[in-house]
Amino acid sequence: MNISHHLSDDTLQEYTAGALDPSLEVVIACHLTYCTSCRNRADMLDVTVGALLDTEQPTAVRTTALELIQKAQSLGEEQAQAEPPVSDVPRPLGRLLPAPLESLAWKRLAPGIKQYNLSNRHRKYGAFKLLHLAPGVVLSQHTHKDKELTLVLRGSYQDEIGRFKAGDVADLGDDVVHQPVVDTQEPCIALIATQSPVQFSGVMGKLMQPFVGF
Amino acid sequence: MSHVIAEPDQKAQIQLLNKQLTDIGQKQCSDAFTAIYNHFAGRVKSFLIGKGINDDTAEELMQEVMIAVWRRACTYDQSKAAASTWVFTIARNRRIDHLRGTPRVEIELEDSLLQLESDDIPAEQQVDILQDATRVHSAMATLPEDQHKVLHLSFFKGQSHGDIATRLGLPIGTVKSRIRLAMRSIRNTLHEQEEQV
Ligand SMILES: [Zn+2]
Repeated sequence: MNISHHLSDDTLQEYTAGALDPSLEVVIACHLTYCTSCRNRADMLDVTVGALLDTEQPTAVRTTALELIQKAQSLGEEQAQAEPPVSDVPRPLGRLLPAPLESLAWKRLAPGIKQYNLSNRHRKYGAFKLLHLAPGVVLSQHTHKDKELTLVLRGSYQDEIGRFKAGDVADLGDDVVHQPVVDTQEPCIALIATQSPVQFSGVMGKLMQPFVGF
Repeated sequence: MSHVIAEPDQKAQIQLLNKQLTDIGQKQCSDAFTAIYNHFAGRVKSFLIGKGINDDTAEELMQEVMIAVWRRACTYDQSKAAASTWVFTIARNRRIDHLRGTPRVEIELEDSLLQLESDDIPAEQQVDILQDATRVHSAMATLPEDQHKVLHLSFFKGQSHGDIATRLGLPIGTVKSRIRLAMRSIRNTLHEQEEQV
């Protein structure tokens, strides 16, 4: 896969640290499924934290290795995870969908714009949804307040930053103003997640967020 | 370059742990597990303590992590990861699952959409896990204390950049730049190695 837009260092570092919401982790894991280059970067971060583990001062423990082996033998087999029902998208997303992309119960938001909300699964967290944009759709110009990741799954769009095709991820900083345009005859389907807003600072952010949140 | 002296030892140590973990998987070797346990259990517990996890809970979670190490060692492949990396990823998932009730979302190796590294990469450009891990360990040992500290709090303790700034009484920009500097020196040691090849 030919990928031109990647995850930022900050995002991969926060993912490594386990500091992100599950919704953002889904977008990241989907991009990592498509992108060997970001996967290598994420692997190297894991090696780094593994090295930190090695240099850590140990805390006293209260059991022995042999006691644990005995305990392990008294446990049943570990359950393997079942295959997700949907296989036309990377598995971390497929596990959250009841049907393939084209058969989802999309909700119409505006002419040419449909959405499928995923945030019921992750109610505590920020926005998490799929957007389905018809060819030629132009979104209103807007900026972002919270951390937001957009992964293109089908089709493509273009904005001030560049052209985003299937597999590309838009990992936008706070100050980016952009106006995405669906630029081919194919609909563009994208997965979007935002980090849950920080308390007290989210109200204005929410008011200023455009209605599609893209 | 003081770390050059330590490198053979580092490498031998990493190699030994990788082999012991492999032996657990292939032979259910309890001596190997004892060695892995003695090296990692207390460190995994240190990793788990903090962020709302007390000593009792950390002990319990550590035991679960080490039991998982014993049971999943047959899936460990020393050509793909160092033992410390592999054990860390299990401990990280256990902590995340404990704190929020859902595990960390990750790629699935069985995913039919998983893009694999193309096979025609020449052998000398392929990742040498042992060498990379050795380089990273050595770089870590020579990081300035202030950089090591922010890496520890950020990656290891999972604290946000804002929390670290408050805790150390530093501007958030300083925290971010220390992380950036530390990551750059770690990356540079890896690139040095590529250029030497
Ligand atoms: Zn990428």
